Order: sequence, then structure tokens, then C-alpha cells
Amino acid sequence: METIGFLMEGFAVALTPYNLMFALFGAFVGTLIGCLPGLGPANGVAILIPLAFTLGLPPETAMILLTSVYAGAMYGGRISSILLNIPGDEPAMMTCLDGYPMAQKGRAADALAISAIASFAGSLIGTIGLIMLAPVLARFALTFGPAEYFALFLLAFATLGGITGKNPMKTVIAATLGIMISTVGIDISTGTQRYTGGVLELYEGIDFILAIVGLFAISELLFFVEARMGKGRSKVEMGKLTLTFKEVVSTLPTQLRGGLLGFIAGVLPGAGASLGSFISYTLEKSVLGKKGRFGEGDIRGVVAPEAGNNGAASGALVPMLTLGVPGSGTTAVLLAMLISLNITPGPLMFTQNADIVWGVIAALLIGNVLLLVLNIPMIGVFVRLLSVPPMYLLPIVTMVAFVGIYSISHSTFDLYFMIVFGVGGFILRKLDIPMVPIILGLLLGPEMEKNLGHALILSDGDWTTLWSSPLAIGLWLVAGLGLVLPTVFGPLLRRRMRNAIKEGPVSD
Amino acid sequence: MTGMGDRILGLFLLVLAVAYGWVAQQWPEPFGGAEGVGPETFPTMLAIVLVVGSLYLMIKPDADAKWPVGRPALELVISIIVLVVYALLLEPLGFIISTTLAVGALSWRMGAPVVGSFVTGLISAVVVFGLFNYGLSLSLPNGLLGGF
Repeated sequence: METIGFLMEGFAVALTPYNLMFALFGAFVGTLIGCLPGLGPANGVAILIPLAFTLGLPPETAMILLTSVYAGAMYGGRISSILLNIPGDEPAMMTCLDGYPMAQKGRAADALAISAIASFAGSLIGTIGLIMLAPVLARFALTFGPAEYFALFLLAFATLGGITGKNPMKTVIAATLGIMISTVGIDISTGTQRYTGGVLELYEGIDFILAIVGLFAISELLFFVEARMGKGRSKVEMGKLTLTFKEVVSTLPTQLRGGLLGFIAGVLPGAGASLGSFISYTLEKSVLGKKGRFGEGDIRGVVAPEAGNNGAASGALVPMLTLGVPGSGTTAVLLAMLISLNITPGPLMFTQNADIVWGVIAALLIGNVLLLVLNIPMIGVFVRLLSVPPMYLLPIVTMVAFVGIYSISHSTFDLYFMIVFGVGGFILRKLDIPMVPIILGLLLGPEMEKNLGHALILSDGDWTTLWSSPLAIGLWLVAGLGLVLPTVFGPLLRRRMRNAIKEGPVSD
Repeated sequence: MTGMGDRILGLFLLVLAVAYGWVAQQWPEPFGGAEGVGPETFPTMLAIVLVVGSLYLMIKPDADAKWPVGRPALELVISIIVLVVYALLLEPLGFIISTTLAVGALSWRMGAPVVGSFVTGLISAVVVFGLFNYGLSLSLPNGLLGGF
């Protein structure tokens, strides 16, 4: 029951007017980020990091702001799925299937409202799961030694491509590149200069924030320039809200199932929100069978994936908060914020920075209520903003990224570096090299090296120590599976997901 | 030949990995002798992993992506130049002027009408400048407008 006590303390942190203001701001901006095509959650959170940093926000406030943005982005993704038939972010893909047909039938307002409720339910279930599971996992993680941590990091990289990932080798390459970048600078334990080439700016290493912003924001701009999609797309009219209370109640079982499945998918390494929404949609389809009219605008077809992806979003915070090992792009970016706030992520955070952890969790609960309130009456605002074409939006977003990076150090050197990362990111994305493992490598590289060092010092240089405990062996095994399974099941699952989308009557 | 993109990337990564690994071997042994892990241990491991990965890419490349040619490629180059020039001019010209030019140029090249683009640029520049300098008291460069 001490959890309840901690949670209350968390609420005390999150409910101060100052933090509440940032939570509200974050929720609003997050929804906006989620709904605008071309501005995914990871991207949006990344752009906000330098701002949170330069504002000199206290750590708990900064984390509350970014967590609210994260939760908001998960809500926002559905808006463009329903109105434009383009997912605002990847997990919202499944919402297109029934959301857009519903909108075409003149029930756009209903679809938006019910999906907001489903998002709320999913998120609530996920957050409750997080509250119950995280402390247990954190306590368990305290038994990890350096060797286990080293194996855990490997596991994180191995499963990052996800079960639907295309080419696991490319995930490995991406992660290695990221870790390599993180080794630039003065070595912490020996003081040796590594790969600095005598350039003063490189002595402290490459700031991962500018790398992240470059890789996400700048490369996204370049993608839009290349595709010449500046004009935006036409959207469906909103229509009047006709949703009845009875209809909402009838979807409750769907919301519960979706939220729970999503949460599980979020916690597991390698699954993530996209799979969470996919699984809950498919399950709902098979549970209801012929009773549903999936693909033609069934209301439960909107509820299931939304509950699923929001449940997964909260679930994904579990490994990030307890182990310091994020399982998705956005949680990786949140981890970047933690590290730049000088907080060592991992199980110790629950004892040393309890106010931050529980403040964030409480903020997630409050943020959800705020989001529900924001998303039902204020939906019109977001819908109007959706019609801002990317040709105006993306340059402005790029400019905000420039301002953020510039304001950290007031040096134009960092800006050039960011552009280099952006162009590099564009080329690598073209070649199907995923960005998230690069970022995770940048973040976890130093920790990995440190743990390797500790493990080998403890064992007097005996390398077998890395796989001597049963726990470490288990982690190595899962890591191995994480690399092998996608080559077997990946094509199958991806084909299924693609077929599910093609079956939709609106694939134009 | 298909998979040229991956093969070239693989070759580039191989060169990178070998150079990275070779440089690591050149560092002097740290003061106090090598204990377990020296500064070169971890980079050496990374270099080996990357060598294996790059060889795999060259042997089993994926199908090629569609690379931009002609007009889109030109637009890309223009955008990158705009970004570099923006970074270059940010301090000398000041935030407002350089931002107006950069955001305007980018919007225009993405297909917006000329006047609309630069007006968007100006408005966003002024709003962000005001927000940062007066709202958040973080100073952005004044540049040419510094006297006012």
C-alpha cells in the first residue's frame, strides 16, 4: 500500500499550479503534434526538449511537460486518421480503418468523440498497470549487476526493430552507429581523447539533443520537400455530434480489452504501440465476429485501436522508468530528457528521485483528464489547425528546432552539426536504416561501456562473467530471439497488417 | 544491378568501421596500465560489429529505394543550402531578418505563394522573437536591428 502513499505525493507534485499549467500546455501541444501529419510524437517531443532545457524548468516540471506532450500526441494521432485518412503517427494507422468510413458517413464528430473516450480509457488502464507493475519491476531490477545491465542493453537494441521490423541487420548497424557517435569525446574513466580530432567543441562529446533534433526534425522536412506534399490533403466535414450515452456504454468491454492488450504490448520489448493497436483491433474483430461491421465504420473499430495504442503508450513507460531502457522512439526521447537533467534512469530512480517518478505518473493521470476535456469541446480548434498546410507548418517547425538548439549553447557550430545529422538521417532513412536505434545508441552507449567496464573489473578481466548468471543468460537468449524472430514472423505480420488496411473500402 | 544503395552504404560503413577501429588502437595506454577495459576496448568491439554488419549489407543488400533525381533532388539541395545559410546568417543579420528569409524561402520552395511565404516567415519570426526575448527572457541575436 505504500504505492498509494507515493502516488499521493506524486499528486502533490503534479497538482501545483505551476506544474498543472505545464501539463495543460503539454497536453495541448501534444495533441497538436499528434494530429499534424509529418510531426510524429518522437519528433515533437524532441523539438521541445531544448526548449524545456533552456527555460530552466525544474526536473519534475520538465518531465511532466514532456510526458503530457507524449500522452497528448497519442490522442492527437487519431484526428487526422479519422478526418484525412492519413495517420498522424504510426500507431494511429489502425484507426483509419473504421474511423474514416465513419467520417464519410457524416459521423466524424462522433468518431472523434468516441475515440477520445477510448483513448482516455486505454490510457487510464495503462497508467493503472504502470502504477502496479513499475514498483515491482524496479525492485526486481535492483538485483541486476553490471553484467545483467550490459545484457539488458543488448536486449533493448535487439528488440528495438520490433517484431514487425524489416531487416534486423539494419537495426544492429543503426545501434552501432549511435553508440559509435556516443564514444566521441573524452573517455570518462581514463581521460583519453577519443575521435575528437583536436576540435574543442567535440571534447565534451556530441550533444545527443542536437543529434536527435537533426535526425528527426530536419530529416522530416527534407522528406516533405522531396515528396512535394506541401499542399496537404482534403478533409471530411465534421458534422454534428450524435453520439448517445448508450452507444458509449456499449463499447465499454471493447475499451477494457483494448486498453489491457495495449498495455501488455507496450511493456513487452519489441512490441510497442503500433502492434498494440493492431492486436486489439484484430482481437475485437474476432471476438465480435459477424456482429460487427468492421471496415465500414463500426464504432468499436475506432474504439479498439485507440484504447490499444494509448494503453501501449503508458505501458512503454514501464521499462523506461524502471530499467532506464526505453522500448520506443518517443520513450527514448523522454530518456534523453532525463539524462540531460542529470538523472540516472533505472531502478534507483524510484528511491532517489521518487518525486519525479511519481510526479510523472500522477501527471499522466491528470493529463488524461485534461486531454479528455480538451478533446471533446475543443476538437474544433484542432480540426481547424489541421488545415494548415505542411508548406507553412514544416518551415516554422524547423525554425523552432533551430531556435531551441541555438538557445542551449548560443553557438552556430551546433546548428551546422544539426544540419549534418539531418542530412545524414535523411540518407539513412532512405536506405531503411531506422533512426530510433541510432538515438538509443547515443543515449545508452556510455552506460553500456560503463557497465562493461564494471563487470570486467569485478571479474578481473574474465569475459565469461558477462553470461555467467542465469538472469544474464536469460537476457542474452531473449536478445537473440529478438533478432531472429522478426526474420521469421516479421514478413507474415507485416503482410497481415497491410492486408487489414487494404481490406478497408477506402483505400484510394 | 539492384541493391546498389545498400552496397555503397556497406562499403562506406566498412571503411568507417576499419578507420574507427584502427584509430582506437593508436591511443597510448592510459596512466596506471590497462585494467580490464581500456579506452580502446569498447570501440574495438563496435568496429568489429560494424564490419560484420557492413559485409552483410554488401553481400545481401535490400532492394533499392527510389532516389530523387532532377527537380526533387534540386529542391532538396536548395533546402539544405537554405538551412546552412540560415545558420550562417543568424548572428550577423539577427534573428528576425534571417528567420523571415529562411522560413519564407522554405515555404516558397515547398509550393506556397511568394508573398504568403515571406509574410508567414515575418510573422513567425516576430512572434518567436517576442516570445523568447520578452516572455522567456532568452536572448536571440538582434543583428542589424540591434539599435532599435
